[in-house]
Amino acid sequence: MIELKGIEKVYTLGGRPLKALDSVNLTIHRGDYLSVMGPSGSGKSTLLNMIGLLDRPDKGQLNIGGVATESLTEPERATIRRDKIGFIFQSFHLVPRLTALENVALPLMLSGVPLKQRKEQAMAGLAQLDLDARADHLPKQLSGGQLQRVAIARALIMQPEILLADEPTGNLDSKTGLEVMDLLEQVNQQGLTLLLVTHDLSLGKRAPRKLQIIDGKITEVNEHRAFN
Amino acid sequence: MRLIDYFIYALTVFVRHKMRTALLLLALSMGVASVIILTTIGEGARHFIHQEFSAMGSDLLIILPGKKETQGGAPPINGASPRDLTIDDVNALKTINSIDQIAPIIAGTALIRFGNKSREVITMGSTTPFFALRNMRLGEGRLLPDNADSHHSPVIILGSKVKQELFGAENALGEWLNVGDFRFRVIGVLEERGESLGLDLRDMAVIGVRSAEMVFDSPALFRVILKLKYAGSEHYTEQQVRSIIASRHEGEDDVTFISQDAMMSAFDNVMLMVTMVLGAIAAISLIVAGVLIMNVTYISVAQRKHEIGLLKAIGATAKQVKTIFVIEALILAIIGSAFGLLGAIALIELATTIWSNFYLAAPFWAIFAACSTALVVSLLFSLVPAKKAAQLDPIIALRSK
Amino acid sequence: MNFFDQIQWVFKVLWAYRLRSALTVVGFAVGIASVTLLTALGEGMRQFIMEEFTQFGSRIVAITPGKTETYGLGGLLNTTRPLTLDDAESLQRITTVEFVVPVVFGSGQVKSETRSRYVDIAGVAGRADKAWKINVAQGRFLPTDNWQQPRAFAVLGSQLKQELFGHASALGQTVTIAQSRFVIVGVMESKGEFLGTNLDELIYIPAQKALQLFNRSSLMEIDVFYKPQVSAEQIAATISKRLIDRHGMEDFTLVTQDAMLKSLDNILSIVKWVAAGLSSIALIVGGVGILTVFSISVAERKQEIGLLQALGMNGNQMQRLFLAEAITLALVGALAGYVMVTMPLLLVTFWMPSFPFEAEFLVFVGAMILSAIIGALSGIQPARQAANLAPIEALRDE
Repeated sequence: MIELKGIEKVYTLGGRPLKALDSVNLTIHRGDYLSVMGPSGSGKSTLLNMIGLLDRPDKGQLNIGGVATESLTEPERATIRRDKIGFIFQSFHLVPRLTALENVALPLMLSGVPLKQRKEQAMAGLAQLDLDARADHLPKQLSGGQLQRVAIARALIMQPEILLADEPTGNLDSKTGLEVMDLLEQVNQQGLTLLLVTHDLSLGKRAPRKLQIIDGKITEVNEHRAFN
Repeated sequence: MRLIDYFIYALTVFVRHKMRTALLLLALSMGVASVIILTTIGEGARHFIHQEFSAMGSDLLIILPGKKETQGGAPPINGASPRDLTIDDVNALKTINSIDQIAPIIAGTALIRFGNKSREVITMGSTTPFFALRNMRLGEGRLLPDNADSHHSPVIILGSKVKQELFGAENALGEWLNVGDFRFRVIGVLEERGESLGLDLRDMAVIGVRSAEMVFDSPALFRVILKLKYAGSEHYTEQQVRSIIASRHEGEDDVTFISQDAMMSAFDNVMLMVTMVLGAIAAISLIVAGVLIMNVTYISVAQRKHEIGLLKAIGATAKQVKTIFVIEALILAIIGSAFGLLGAIALIELATTIWSNFYLAAPFWAIFAACSTALVVSLLFSLVPAKKAAQLDPIIALRSK
Repeated sequence: MNFFDQIQWVFKVLWAYRLRSALTVVGFAVGIASVTLLTALGEGMRQFIMEEFTQFGSRIVAITPGKTETYGLGGLLNTTRPLTLDDAESLQRITTVEFVVPVVFGSGQVKSETRSRYVDIAGVAGRADKAWKINVAQGRFLPTDNWQQPRAFAVLGSQLKQELFGHASALGQTVTIAQSRFVIVGVMESKGEFLGTNLDELIYIPAQKALQLFNRSSLMEIDVFYKPQVSAEQIAATISKRLIDRHGMEDFTLVTQDAMLKSLDNILSIVKWVAAGLSSIALIVGGVGILTVFSISVAERKQEIGLLQALGMNGNQMQRLFLAEAITLALVGALAGYVMVTMPLLLVTFWMPSFPFEAEFLVFVGAMILSAIIGALSGIQPARQAANLAPIEALRDE
């Protein structure tokens, strides 16, 4: 369970303070599927980075699995990122010189899993996404859809509790994008929490819980009223 | 993250950037190789001097006439002395039980004439032990008579070059020639051998010490060489010599001692200093290589911002990120040192096959110093950019173009 | 693109990549600094030593007995062909000779009434003080007349005087060297060391007395100081002829100060250039640095290169631009390194004028030229690479 209580984050932009998050309260349960929508600059990504422990709030509490994250040290936060959180980015962020297999194995490497075991696990992860044939390919040899699937495999390899996806289809054509969405939702149905940041209405609608964020303020939208 | 993984990870970077990796290795290995080669040359020179000294044996003492209390003037070469050290003084010293062999020397330049050829030659007047003490061997003929310290006998032993110049290929043994105003018969020719401590053994002649006294019309000894029976008895021997000389010189022990060891260690220190300076000069290039590593690491950090952001997002700690970059530099240093070492050893081997009489071997301390300097320099210079990488904000890094 | 545009372009690029430019410059500067420092120290040492030797003037000819190379033992050895006081006096009579100093050197015990000391003894003649540029502090130096039967006078070095007589006056007192008594007529000013001999702990006595004392027939050296109107070769020829006339053969060695200084200068120059050569290893490593950074830059700036090509820049211009960048880096590095070394050293020489350091303009020019060459050599390969890039490929690269 992830709890945000009165989270505030202020950036200074051009000398003026800008509230990226304004007393955000949010509870995310295990297995939830949320979409976060809003115009650009509204604070979507800040929310995602906050939950992903890449950013620290100025005010408020963020509990992940019952742990109050504000008092954690950077290395402790890094460990939580590694073990409990999976990131998926719009631009995939695969290390260009590493093969698909090595990219998937990165989190395992960071946590000190021996090479052989790492390879087996990463291979299994790739196989689940039908990518085992591409294991030894470098990112430049893969298509966009394949790249994102490799990234998803990497995000899943540590069996995290929550998957944070920031515009995961933004760099893909619509057909491939839908394939990736199907894949993410499949994973969600297996019990993984999924938080999807997007500005694509049709994608946002697919989530059972829809959040709208405007000027740092968050509102949960009911199904029937949503996005009209 | 396991240590081995840092290495594997660095390897992927090197494979991706072959050109810059090769150039960094080149820079490092040049630095390491130059330190090793220069110190090897310095050590070679030191070894050469060592050999020169130990060819004379380490248990030698040299006695010079005269004494001074002034400081300075590294090797105590005194000029003349008012009270001569004489052959009789040396004969008196023979009673000292710690002396194995002792040879008085009268030295001078004398004009040696044979037929219509004449040459000025450094002529040593001494006794039979002199040959053993200076490691001189005869090529042909025989040594001085045993009573050279008591009687004049008109016999002379020539250096190989002197013999060649006066007699050419002809036989010299038994021939009579002139030394100054006196007639001498050639009884031996020295074995062909190079210089020894500044004396060209080919270009000299040896006569009996009594004969030299006569030729140069002076009883003053140039110096006395003695060999100790037991190593470590220098001090005792010096005391004994001083008391005998004092008793014969109206209470004055006006002699100066040079021990082989003292001279050798003086040279040793100087040569070691020179070697160190050579090494230090070469080590400057390692600093330059260090700056280069820093530069390339900075570039690398800038180029790999996305990667750093990603690593942090998927749970790498700042320390892990820092270690990744530092280890890269350290691996470069290790491989660069290895190449430098191999290159240096190859060059040294090549040099020893060309100049086989000059001893060259990379001193262990220099190898250690060169490689560890390369490591330390790489570590220090990569630390700053690596820290910068570690402190990158992952959000900004991921977003950066 | 004219020259000024190129320069401006180059500096803009270097500024845009200022961190790596700065570090490249630093690396190269360290190399130049080490070369400059070592040549400067080498030159300083050379001048220091040359000054030590030229302080006695340069119109000197030194004559030692014997024709053989004696490895510096020179007059120390016995000889069957002595140089005598007569020889010295005869040389004194040559018209182009200003004066002659006969030299016998030895050591022995010098006793005053209460104290004694083993010191160096210099057997010389009057005017040796002038020859060696040491001033008399009290009294006078040895008389110039009557070399064959000199009076038993002696002159003390300043420190020896202290040791034998303390603060009391030494003039008119006597010292004994091996049963011979000498009357002290002068005390010298302090002069320090020369080539390891402490000139302040020296006693000067007439050469003839020294020959007697040491029971020698031959002087160890005759120093001839000649007049400015003759050249070193001329005076050497005159002296040679005079001595050969007297001895019947050339049984002496004659070294003019000129020749001696020249060979010394040669050796010291070699030492200096060897040091500079060794330190240029660092410079070469600096060159590798420029090459490294440049090949990275070309790869990174592919898009820029493609754009410039699309805008109509040809391969030659491109190559020149990149070369100019490399050379500029090297030159800036050279300048920085040179300033890095010379400024502090100049400051040091300002406070300590005797500090052996000499900044040579020639070294500066040499360093700049060498740097430009190294810069060009390390820039050429990346520059070519940039020039030969196909525009489409360059533009496409991301």
